[in-house]
Amino acid sequence: MSAVSLVLVHLAQLVQLVPLASGDGGIWLLAAGPVGAVGTYWLIYRYYRNTDKSHAYERDTLIEAQQVTGGEDKIDHIGRTRDSDIDGDNRHSHRQRVQRVQ
Amino acid sequence: MSTDATDPQPQQPTFDGPPLSLEEELAAARAEPEPGPSIETVNASLKDGLNRCPKCGGTDVQLRASTGMLVCLFCRHQWQEARVEEEFGLGEGIDDLQGTVIASGARDIAADAEQMVTFKCDACGAEVVVDTAHALNARCHWCRHTFNVNQQIPNGAVPDAVLPFKLTKDEAVERIRAFAGKRRLFAHKRFKAEFTPENVLGVYLPYLVVDARAETSYWGTGEVETRRWTEKQGDDRVTYYAADVYRLQREVAFTVDDLTIEGSSARADFGSQTTNNIVNTVLPFDTKNAVKWNASYLVGYSSEKRDLNVEGLAPVLEDQLLSIGRSQVEGSLDRFDRGVRWEQEKIDVGGSRWVSMYLPVWLYSYQQKSGGMLHYIAVNARTGETMGSIPVSQPKLILAALTIGTVLEGLAGAILVATA
Repeated sequence: MSAVSLVLVHLAQLVQLVPLASGDGGIWLLAAGPVGAVGTYWLIYRYYRNTDKSHAYERDTLIEAQQVTGGEDKIDHIGRTRDSDIDGDNRHSHRQRVQRVQ
Repeated sequence: MSTDATDPQPQQPTFDGPPLSLEEELAAARAEPEPGPSIETVNASLKDGLNRCPKCGGTDVQLRASTGMLVCLFCRHQWQEARVEEEFGLGEGIDDLQGTVIASGARDIAADAEQMVTFKCDACGAEVVVDTAHALNARCHWCRHTFNVNQQIPNGAVPDAVLPFKLTKDEAVERIRAFAGKRRLFAHKRFKAEFTPENVLGVYLPYLVVDARAETSYWGTGEVETRRWTEKQGDDRVTYYAADVYRLQREVAFTVDDLTIEGSSARADFGSQTTNNIVNTVLPFDTKNAVKWNASYLVGYSSEKRDLNVEGLAPVLEDQLLSIGRSQVEGSLDRFDRGVRWEQEKIDVGGSRWVSMYLPVWLYSYQQKSGGMLHYIAVNARTGETMGSIPVSQPKLILAALTIGTVLEGLAGAILVATA
């Protein structure tokens, strides 16, 4: 990945944000510099050091699973919230351990 | 809890013989626990010391990586050991596994077991010492015969099976060069200057390969979006959501075949101060093709001794099985478009079978001067999968980040001025 392609990625993101920025004066656009700098550092560092990589045993092991069973009960209703998703969503974080019950 | 008057009599416990006397109870309590079921994997056709070519009797035997076969360097005869998958029935009966079955080469390591094994050379009478921490072969320095350690000794050095090298050194060097070649620009100056992939080392690393049967259960909370609308607040438009909240539970039973776990404590530490995750990433191996132990496969390669026991690795297995279970139930959660928060989990490992194996890796290592971190570029010597950690030049990296940050900031400023 070259530095040029990184700049192009950031530019594309910035152009997408322009229509949104026009509504509120777009002062927050000024965050693009620091965010872009940190993002660039992080992307290049990760490409070189691969600190986030590990064996995907959930996918690369021979697994024979039976039918998934279970159930769900409605327990509450949220009438009005600004949160677009549930707090602490970990449905994709398979390796994040939660409380073990015996 | 209330009981129904029409309930039948409570069930009597099953009769399992007359009660034991006090002496018998005490004797049973003092008795040593029965050893668990085991698979004997010692290669009975080989012995410690001299193992001769079946055709000419030479002892100069080694692996020919291009064919995966052993070759006698004297008469060029080639042969191979049997695959353990069929020999010991490792692919079968995972559904019926009960308890912890441990193959003989994966048994507990005795802390006081000797590292050094001494042979008396049959040919010339000299004494030859093998340091099993690093090698399982040695040459008699007088008559040049090759000696092998083939019997399983309780120091963890001889596993049940070995997966021979397939990728040659030249192929590994090529892959390492290609991997590092793509990462030259921001690589540390000293790393680039000292980069010599020809120094790559073929190493057999110790792993425990596990078949297991498990049932996992998960409890959590999920949310389903029921409505979404936008409200105007001053100059801003704010999106609001309404959602139903569910308490949910999922269960799945599954078997895993050949889950591969690090058997060396030096390799099993995935802390941020190490680059062991690199070696972990080149998994999996085609462990189905592993063959019965024969130390001749190790001639010319280095090896690392196993120092972790099955009991110590049981929590790692449970952790991985819980993760696998979580990935299996994920497909049943599509309805919860606002996400699921798992809060509790449970695992019941019905049975597991542990086999220790040496798996082949080409390792290029580089010790960084500042900080002393050991960086690896590892190549899976069966599949060719390559992963590495290249030390970065922090000044260059910071300069690039600042440059891009400045460009973006300039553009943002220009957009603001233009739209003001």
